[in-house]
Amino acid sequence: MTTIEQVKEFLPLIIPLIIAEIVLLLFTLRHILTHKKYKRGTRALWIVITIIGMEFIGPILYFLLGKEDE
Amino acid sequence: MKALLAFMKKEWMEAIRSGKLVFLIILFTLFGIMNPAIAKLTPWLMKQMSSQLAESGMIITSVKVDALTSWTQFFKNLPIGLIVFAIMFSGSFTKEYQSGTMQLLITKGLARFKILFSKLSIMVLLWSLCYWICYFVTFFYNSYYWDNSVANQLVNAAVTWWLFGLWIMCLIVLFSTVSNSSGAVMAGTFGIVVVSYIMEMFPGIKEYVPTFLMKSSNIVIGMSDAGQYTNSIIIVCGMMVICFLASILLINKKKI
Repeated sequence: MTTIEQVKEFLPLIIPLIIAEIVLLLFTLRHILTHKKYKRGTRALWIVITIIGMEFIGPILYFLLGKEDE
Repeated sequence: MKALLAFMKKEWMEAIRSGKLVFLIILFTLFGIMNPAIAKLTPWLMKQMSSQLAESGMIITSVKVDALTSWTQFFKNLPIGLIVFAIMFSGSFTKEYQSGTMQLLITKGLARFKILFSKLSIMVLLWSLCYWICYFVTFFYNSYYWDNSVANQLVNAAVTWWLFGLWIMCLIVLFSTVSNSSGAVMAGTFGIVVVSYIMEMFPGIKEYVPTFLMKSSNIVIGMSDAGQYTNSIIIVCGMMVICFLASILLINKKKI
């Protein structure tokens, strides 16, 4: 199997995966930027954590530990 | 009935407005895509590691990947999803006690069991939605890349694990009626799971404990039959009913 064929086989997995991750990242960033108060931490801290752990760990941490209960 | 529906609607709106719903749906979709992705990447990863492993004397000849690899991943990743879910909803009651909104609702004449019932039903609804989204995404990819027919009694196994999630929801509600802090709710739920886990080590009662349901991945790979889980399913259903009734009694007595 050539490399191009291998990549082609992975595309149906990779494209939705990337889309879902980007949507999750943007959704979390929007949530951080539209809220002033957090349970703990500051805005800068949460933006950094979300971007560093952007696959899904960062957003999970924000929603579990940082998001303020309204 | 009107009050109940109105409160359920309020809970639903809250799940949407606070971003919980969207977050959970994206997260579980992501988990659903990752299961087949990890399975698909395994042979490639092994190839990368094979030269390293060969130095230490391990030789990898060929790695066979099929739908079962992906389904095993599915059942392995579910606990992470359930933990996220449980932590997220452990504050569902406690934050209302603390902010005083619960007091407001009760003094306005909303029956306490209606509050409890609507919160529980929204939790169950969201868990079912997320769980089955994850299931169907994995199912779709597995039938695209491999063949799902190799998986043994797949739906039974999936329903068994889903029931385990429902049991956790009931425990969260029960501990929410006892405690005022979300930390204690988490600790209580976790404690019960640990107790159940320890009880599973005794061979005689192994098939009667709730955490036995988490082993339902064994059904898929053909190591056990769905019938073996009947006992613990009955116990779990019984416990859910008891938890629900106990939490209604407790919340009626609770000083809010």
